Amino acid sequence: MHDDDFPELEPRLAQLRNALAQVDAPRCVEKELMQAFASQSARARPWYRRLGLLEWSAAVACVLVCVAVVGLLSLPPRLADGFDDSPLVRIDSGGAFIALDSVERIEAEPAPRLVETEVPRTMLAALGLPVTPENAGDAVRAEMLVGAAGEPLALRLTSID
Amino acid sequence: MTITPTTSDDELLRRMRSADAQAFAALYRRHQGPVYRFALLRCGSGDTAADVVQEAFMGLLTGRLAFDPLRGSLSNFLFGVARLLILKHEEPRRRESPLPDSDEDELEPALEEACPLTRVLANESAEEVRRALARLAPHYRDALILYEMHGLSYLEIATICAVDIGTVRSRLARGRAALAKALRLHALDAT
Repeated sequence: MHDDDFPELEPRLAQLRNALAQVDAPRCVEKELMQAFASQSARARPWYRRLGLLEWSAAVACVLVCVAVVGLLSLPPRLADGFDDSPLVRIDSGGAFIALDSVERIEAEPAPRLVETEVPRTMLAALGLPVTPENAGDAVRAEMLVGAAGEPLALRLTSID
Repeated sequence: MTITPTTSDDELLRRMRSADAQAFAALYRRHQGPVYRFALLRCGSGDTAADVVQEAFMGLLTGRLAFDPLRGSLSNFLFGVARLLILKHEEPRRRESPLPDSDEDELEPALEEACPLTRVLANESAEEVRRALARLAPHYRDALILYEMHGLSYLEIATICAVDIGTVRSRLARGRAALAKALRLHALDAT
């Protein structure tokens, strides 16, 4: 539209464009802006954003170690000992022996007694014995070793199959 | 991630907001030239133009200036900011001088503060055009600089100057006429 109205303008404007093409803002402007950016970033970034990947990894590792230590310290003593006092179950040739107390305690019992009884198979599932829908209603013949004071020490099951 | 000339302004802005200094430097280097040249032609002073560039980018990095990519390009946003900063800079002088009667006021007296007659360009002929441009009324200068020097469309100029396209068209026509007249007069004076 306008370009043809003043044809003498275009070459003059082109000269101005060419002369300005390499004109940039003074270098000091960039320098000052970068300094302002650095101080602005330091102010604006919260502490957790200033940490790098390495620092974050170290922090996470420290937290995991702390959690593990606290967890181990808070375990009950018997679990912390490596589960050695958990019931000992041995299954052999259709029978099973279940220690309800520690082996040392059973061996130290001066006058153990043997009591014969029958136990529903479903009750034995919690002790790790196999229970299927077919035999869930059966009773298993059991011999219980009891201490002098009547406390159960061990259980022997026969014909669990 | 490395920064290349094809990295978008949006990406650079996103990284700048994540405190990436390289992204900010890349944004600055990409846009400082046009903004500085616009300000230099618009106000006629290298110092003021440098202040305008610094203030515009400072506003961007502090978040004081909220750029919305949905409303246009970053370069046009910066032109708009620079224009407002220049108007703010000229405000004391405008308050003291009488109001223009209308859009017809094509030429204005040379600004003492802005020093449009101080030599800015080495090329004599280009400097002549710059001086003639500096004597145009500011609203003509805005339109002419953005259209002729930066190749912006009418719509972009209308958005930057917050006027409608018809106004841009008429300002460009009058601005070109005034500039041609000023250059002709200068040529006659020289002969």
